[in-house]
Amino acid sequence: MSATTATPIRVLTVDDSPSMRALLLGALTARGFAVEQAEDGQQALEWLATNEVDVIITDINMPRLDGFGLIEKLRASALHAERPILVLTTESSDEKKQRARNAGATGWIVKPFDAEKLTTALRRVIH
Amino acid sequence: MPALPSMQRLTILQGEAKASADPAIEMSTILGSCVATCLFDPVARVGGMNHFLLAEPPAHQCSQKFDSDYGLFLMELLVNEMLGLGAARSRMRARLYGGANLNPDLAPIGTANAAFAREFLEREGIPKVFEDLEGTLARRIRFRPATGQVSARIVAPETAPTQKPLGRPQSALGTVELF
Repeated sequence: MSATTATPIRVLTVDDSPSMRALLLGALTARGFAVEQAEDGQQALEWLATNEVDVIITDINMPRLDGFGLIEKLRASALHAERPILVLTTESSDEKKQRARNAGATGWIVKPFDAEKLTTALRRVIH
Repeated sequence: MPALPSMQRLTILQGEAKASADPAIEMSTILGSCVATCLFDPVARVGGMNHFLLAEPPAHQCSQKFDSDYGLFLMELLVNEMLGLGAARSRMRARLYGGANLNPDLAPIGTANAAFAREFLEREGIPKVFEDLEGTLARRIRFRPATGQVSARIVAPETAPTQKPLGRPQSALGTVELF
């Protein structure tokens, strides 16, 4: 009987805060995800031009290209039209949540996040 | 820092982070073991203050590490409040206050709060231009966000509110909404 190893879910996290990136990296790798990281929307776009992931987690407030802009650009591309994109943010306004939804976000998670809830959401959106 | 007659006082409580560009606003808080971060962008003339206390690990956990997640949340909330008013992260300057260890018989949570705040600023590349941290005395902080002026005064320990860490708010913890 040979053991099989499941391919880990590939997650790209996009956040300009090194502290938040470190927190996400620790929480997600400890739960079996393969994590890639970008510092803002522009870096994420450039990375995604030559790489693939299963799901994207993005902050909203970032320099160069913010989370709204990133979602809009990804949804305009056939390659990423169906890619799950979760927004992870300290923003709690309904107006911004609606804007993310209109841009094509798959979900909205308010910080401070709970790692187990985040994990559950990630597994739900890719199946 | 004399109070102006038209000045409007805004008290920053534990677990809060607020920013303003209004010259008529003066933010105020009293700190024991909590830490307040005052951020200021001198170009946008926007300032903000938070007030946090890290939670101790649950008694059943062997780890002696304090829970920094909520401190991180309040730091990020402060930065985002400032960005929303036109500040730029690259121009932000920080002042840190508080982190006293008021009771020598208890765990040095003030020192842990101070260490967390220093490490956060260093990691995020936000210059710390001043700190008045640790020691054993409570402080009252007044901060004018539109000018960046800060006044710190030692106050009687009983003036500092007896505060327990709020930790991560269970009701709002990682609220998930899938569209």
